Amino acid sequence: MPIIDVKNMLSELRVRESMRRIAVSIQTDTSIEQTIRSVIKHKVSAILVMDKNLEPVGVVSKTDIMSAYYAGVPIGYPAKLIMRSPLIVCSPGDSLEQVLNTMSINRIHRVYVQSEQPASATGVISYPDIVGLLYRYCHRCPRSIQRRHSRNDSGDWMRVREIMTPSVQAVDEEETLHDVMERLSELRFGAILVTGGKVPAGVVSKTDLILAYKHGLPTEASAKSVMRSPVRSCSQDEEIAKVIRQMIYWDIRRFFIYRGDPANIVGVLSLSDAAQARSGSCRACMPSRIEVL
Amino acid sequence: MGVTARDVMEKGFFTVRQSTPIPEAVRAFQDAARHLDRRVFGMAVVNEAGDLVGMISMYDILVLMRPKHIHIWGEMDDIDVSGFISESLDRAQSILVGDLMTTELITITPETHLLLIVDILTRKHIRHIPVIEAGKMIGIVHISNVFFYLMEKDPHLIKDGLSP
Repeated sequence: MPIIDVKNMLSELRVRESMRRIAVSIQTDTSIEQTIRSVIKHKVSAILVMDKNLEPVGVVSKTDIMSAYYAGVPIGYPAKLIMRSPLIVCSPGDSLEQVLNTMSINRIHRVYVQSEQPASATGVISYPDIVGLLYRYCHRCPRSIQRRHSRNDSGDWMRVREIMTPSVQAVDEEETLHDVMERLSELRFGAILVTGGKVPAGVVSKTDLILAYKHGLPTEASAKSVMRSPVRSCSQDEEIAKVIRQMIYWDIRRFFIYRGDPANIVGVLSLSDAAQARSGSCRACMPSRIEVL
Repeated sequence: MGVTARDVMEKGFFTVRQSTPIPEAVRAFQDAARHLDRRVFGMAVVNEAGDLVGMISMYDILVLMRPKHIHIWGEMDDIDVSGFISESLDRAQSILVGDLMTTELITITPETHLLLIVDILTRKHIRHIPVIEAGKMIGIVHISNVFFYLMEKDPHLIKDGLSP
């Protein structure tokens, strides 16, 4: 990848070099059902809504779809009823620091990129994109953990426990989807741990909930009926670089983190946490850090 | 006499239910390929009553399996692809054929002319078209059926020994 060859500081990178082109969008009259289909197929957390002139008018996220499920909105209704408007945008020339700031101020996970042509959204940049860049930089480094061959090079690698969210919320497997959705929106989480008899049994994410909506499951169904198991977890002492690599490769948004015994879940590491930590995979590397404004 | 869909369509085709989970659908692709002794790129999707409701292709499944941020990651020399499908399928357990299938269907009747089929296939960038008669699917025309039919019927190609 040429970008990293010419620039040795990630903090010099601009939005245009890190954004993804928008591949999928919906129209204002697209149904919620069709929207879910696009979101699932393209594995996006949100989808851009265009009007008849192909101008972006808003965005529908998994959170908005989940709220529609919670409120009992019929799935055939148009997605524009649940769309968020206006769009929060940035310019191709903005720095990554500015984008990270916009995201944290507005408490959003992605910013659309508006080109010089007014009213057209050409790209999107989200936390995983930024994490991907950080780790690509690390991969290039001669000291990279992923290139390390010698066993006695212990290195000062950053560990999961340093950037994870060090607390964990859970629901019981018999609780209803209705309850699960309330907890998720109250906590602003993308997924929650499900326990059965105090032991981790699975995970329910927003994706599982919007699939339940599409499959016509009543919101009184139990968490158990839609949860995914086993829980994807790793030790708090694992090297961050390895975990991030797996998350990016497998499109996993979060790992649950245990201490000692795998049943002892003590935290969560999401791609958003990793992006917000704004750091590379080892302490030796200052250039990869994006400066906090 | 004009050649129509009836002359080129395949009557032996496989369907998959819209309620089938994706991992099972992938195995259905494998089974269909084994039975038909050729690679199967797309299958018709039917509801519980057996009516055609959509189409699902390998493309739809690959879109789902593709790591979304892989272009950002960039460096893949140390990534092993063995086990890629099973790992992806493991995560697609709760996704059904009905969630991924294309519902904007283009269909033809047994009387649709061959050249019109060529026109539809190329203009719409599709590789197979279900053939519908009296509301029921009776066959499927693959782009290969059309291509090889035209080749076999060409006297010049036969004369030059290019016929398969």
